[in-house]
Amino acid sequence: MLTPLFFLKRSRVEVPTTQADQPPGSELALYVKGVNKTYPNGIVANRDVSISIMKGEVHAILGENGAGKTTLVKIISGCLKPDSGEIYIDGRRVEIDSPLKAVSLGIGMVHQHFTLIPSFTVAENIALSLPLTGRLSLDQVKERIRSVSEALNLKIDPDARIEQLPVGLRQRVEILRLLCQDVRILILDEPTSVLTPIEVEDLFKMIRELKSKGKSIIIITHKVREALTISDRVTIMRGGRVVKTLTTKETNESELASLVVEGFCPSLKIEHVRRGEPLLIVKDLRVKGDRGEVAVKGVSFVLHSGEILGVAGVAGNGQKELVEAITGLRKADSGTILVRNFDLTNRSPKTIIKNGIAYIPEDRMRRGVILTMSVSENLVLKNFEDPPYSKKMIMDKEAMERSASELITKFGIKASDPWISVNSLSGGNIQKLVVARELSNGASILVAEQPTGGLDVKASEGVHQKMMELKSKGVGILLVSADLDEILKLSDRILVIFEGRIVGEFSRDNCDMKKIARLMLGASA
Amino acid sequence: MIEMEWALIIGFIAAGIRTSAPLMLASLGETIVERGGILNLGIEGAMLISAFTGFMGAFLSGNLWIGLLMAILGGILTVITFGILVVRINLDQVVSGLAINLLAAGLCLYFFRLAFSQGAFPYLSELIGPYPIPLLSQIPVIGEVLFNQTIFVYVGIVSVPITYYLIFKTSYGLKLRSVGEDPLVASYLGIEVSKIRYTALILEGIFVGMAGGLLCLSMFNVFDTRIVAARGFVAVSIVILGRWNPVGAFAGSLLFGFTEALSLWIGTFLIGPESASISQLLSLLPYLVTLIALLIGGRRVRGPAALGSPFSKE
Repeated sequence: MLTPLFFLKRSRVEVPTTQADQPPGSELALYVKGVNKTYPNGIVANRDVSISIMKGEVHAILGENGAGKTTLVKIISGCLKPDSGEIYIDGRRVEIDSPLKAVSLGIGMVHQHFTLIPSFTVAENIALSLPLTGRLSLDQVKERIRSVSEALNLKIDPDARIEQLPVGLRQRVEILRLLCQDVRILILDEPTSVLTPIEVEDLFKMIRELKSKGKSIIIITHKVREALTISDRVTIMRGGRVVKTLTTKETNESELASLVVEGFCPSLKIEHVRRGEPLLIVKDLRVKGDRGEVAVKGVSFVLHSGEILGVAGVAGNGQKELVEAITGLRKADSGTILVRNFDLTNRSPKTIIKNGIAYIPEDRMRRGVILTMSVSENLVLKNFEDPPYSKKMIMDKEAMERSASELITKFGIKASDPWISVNSLSGGNIQKLVVARELSNGASILVAEQPTGGLDVKASEGVHQKMMELKSKGVGILLVSADLDEILKLSDRILVIFEGRIVGEFSRDNCDMKKIARLMLGASA
Repeated sequence: MIEMEWALIIGFIAAGIRTSAPLMLASLGETIVERGGILNLGIEGAMLISAFTGFMGAFLSGNLWIGLLMAILGGILTVITFGILVVRINLDQVVSGLAINLLAAGLCLYFFRLAFSQGAFPYLSELIGPYPIPLLSQIPVIGEVLFNQTIFVYVGIVSVPITYYLIFKTSYGLKLRSVGEDPLVASYLGIEVSKIRYTALILEGIFVGMAGGLLCLSMFNVFDTRIVAARGFVAVSIVILGRWNPVGAFAGSLLFGFTEALSLWIGTFLIGPESASISQLLSLLPYLVTLIALLIGGRRVRGPAALGSPFSKE
């Protein structure tokens, strides 16, 4: 048995320098061949994935949540080990067994969750990834940052603490760090998901600048329009496989959309039933924010049965505090919250839940689920004390499993087993789980905070569908979202919140998008 | 008469600094590991082991310096044992620390009994005494207070700026702090988390070894399983009080050292039938001050973000 091993070691591996799908006149920077990856929990994330990246190219990898995009780039950047497959850089076969090795080969990745240390300064964070020993000379590091950032026209203060920087600048620090390490292939994992529209423009400008300097950029996204805007070529992934690689110029939105989601066509019917009796009455509510400032300054509204009431506003105008006061997570200073004429002001979350208020929180990782517990357990978090899940304090695992399996199928949660821990689910699937729990426990009021944030088209559509279903059953929904499109699509009535006050109310028939947008920014209508 | 009072006050200050020495050394060591995200409650047991190995080394060899060497070795070994539990096997840090303390108490008692027959009262005939620094010790007042001390005090004081430099001005320190803030991120950046943590633990072992050793070699000349008397735990609270900064740890150690010296000092003036019980009560003073100081200074402080949480890459 020694011979084949010996043979393998000695034989020259056939080095691919060109590919069939390679655009003419360009040079191959990275070639990934036949990568397979199955996670310990049995989920197959990559099946025979091959992809080629050219020098000076922006290459988008497009796909839904769970299509295997992140797994693929984690393998390329050395964060994950593939079960099989080969990687070539500049025509040379390489073994990438750690992120450090990847960087030394010129590949760097900006993760969806930033790898910066919040209490450190920009310079300290960048110094961490440079091969330094002995005395720490931050001045040298700052000099390096300055020279790299000036070459690209990126402004950054090397002495700023990361925790004080807005998200867009944090991302810039991540990219700068990779450039300081002489990375030639940059991987950006869903880079726009955390950015405001203006920051996205800045990012795209930066990507074009990098491209002109000969860097290759791999950008992962689930947004078709984004891939069309920024990329030269786009590779579509679905179910862990590469569906196709296309030249961006030669394709269009509908072709890409149909490749991303097989046979997808938006089919949501928005029905506007006549609203019923008042369910939730909020009167002159005043709530303090984290820093003791008055965040909600006398808000009053009525939510009726069978109605979706949208609250539009730029994030940070008191929406968070308003929602927290209604769900019992924050004390209200004054005012009343009535549910079916029952005073729930400053009552415990448990009382509020028992009175039929469901809540889809914005921060699903921390407020929506307990990450280390299983899918089934998370699904019964709000009613595990009631039959059939508990009988005289004894929990019934079979009942939990039955209802969990049902919800997993009904909401399309990708979980191989009802008892695997939530940790192993993707972000989109975690949101599906939260939605499944909140929408299935028979609540009469739903407070939904950014319910489709970070979800792909299909998953968002699913959530919207479910909300419409509830509405037709007479549930009142308070929809708080920074996404004006979502608010306009679903709401029967729209409130505009600015600096803790309701500054405008629109019914579906008289709503004017431009007027709402102006009010959101504090201009008078 | 006035001179008498002066001498008393100078003597009190010198004693305060002397009693702070073990806390100073221990809290500097603990500051280093906590900056790297490791909460070592086993420091109490590590001090006990090093007191024991130090005592045995000195007793058997008849040489106090060999005793000190053994104390340092004992300290390193115990802290590394703790390190294997929490870094390699990834056990809970608090539980592992407490386990080390129990193990240390048991081991010391067992080997002490094994070495000496029941009723024997082994003691060291001499101690590592003050080493007056030539010239400097001649300066009035300051000379007596600062430069007529034991080597442990000198090492403790000199280690403050050194430790500060290590943590804040070297690339090792930057890596150490990053590991304490977010080990996962640090590992993504190619920092070898366990290597950094083991290095910190060895440094702590040296400090703790000296702290434990000095109890038997410089402070008392006998060994007893109660000799550490919660100084290790006090050192852990000093680290919090000092906000994970060596300068803060130094100041905190002085506070407790002086309180301890004060309680002893007052005790010597007590005469009469109740004096015994009152001095017992007085010896509680340092612990009471720990509690009060933590209540005042330990609130709203932010330590290393990953302090005490286990870390594994998967």
